[in-house]
Amino acid sequence: MIWLLAATVLGGLLAAAEFTRGPLDDPDPAQQRPGILDLGPLPEPASAVSESIPRLGRPAVVFFGRPDMVDALCRALPNTGLSGDADLVIVLPTGTAECRAVPVIEDPDGSLAEGYGMRSPIADGSPVGYAVVDDRGRIRYRTLDPAVITELGEVRTIVAAL
Amino acid sequence: MNRLGRNDAGLRLCLWCTLAVAVEVGLYLSYQQHEARFHWFTHFFVGTSAALVVMSAVAWHQHRAIAYPLMWPIAGHIVAMFPDLLFTSGTAHYRWMDLFLGHISTHFVPGRNLTWYLVFLAALGLYLTVLARLVDRGNA
Repeated sequence: MIWLLAATVLGGLLAAAEFTRGPLDDPDPAQQRPGILDLGPLPEPASAVSESIPRLGRPAVVFFGRPDMVDALCRALPNTGLSGDADLVIVLPTGTAECRAVPVIEDPDGSLAEGYGMRSPIADGSPVGYAVVDDRGRIRYRTLDPAVITELGEVRTIVAAL
Repeated sequence: MNRLGRNDAGLRLCLWCTLAVAVEVGLYLSYQQHEARFHWFTHFFVGTSAALVVMSAVAWHQHRAIAYPLMWPIAGHIVAMFPDLLFTSGTAHYRWMDLFLGHISTHFVPGRNLTWYLVFLAALGLYLTVLARLVDRGNA
């Protein structure tokens, strides 16, 4: 009786958690926000996002987003203190967006996202997440994170661990 | 045991169950708040499974049921998730944190949380079997 109850309740919760995952989540939840540097094949050399990012001697955080989230991300970033620890840049698949605090780069063919090894979300399409590059120009962390705007403290934790 | 004693024991068990469920619901909601339910499941299944295996061994060795049986799985869960408490206070994960019941590597087993769910059910089955044997012997 106890065993059946536990199997049913926990199995139901597990199934519910699986079926309510969002379209921008990683198909493999273990790969999403693992919280540890140098997972799998990392570190890897980081390709240039712009002329000055990444640069030797300073970490960088490359945010991969969608146009509809730029405003919120742009408003949230200055309050985190992240720009004091690392260069920041936002990469969008299409469209241009204004952001005073952080440069915004367009990546229409997805080559930047691919170069940074960003995984495709459940619903396919461009990734929403970020990659962290250390001061030697190496990718040390990358993850999909649809809730990145509300979890920017986590980005700071990862940058602090470099 | 008279009727009053049985009611008293039942009430105590009910209170422990309520407390255990409240703790786990609280932990679940704290993970959900950070969009990290996957991690709650992994550490819950791993921590409680480890506790149930230890409880089975201790009960079998002592020939009697474990006191406060609901506290052991919760303690196991808290040990398994402890690096997440550090993470929320600003400390990233490191490989040595596998000391906490495989906190890092348990996420990457084939089958992911489904595997740990089955391990948990096996561990619970083991503990319940040990209890049943002790009852048969009149030791529970």
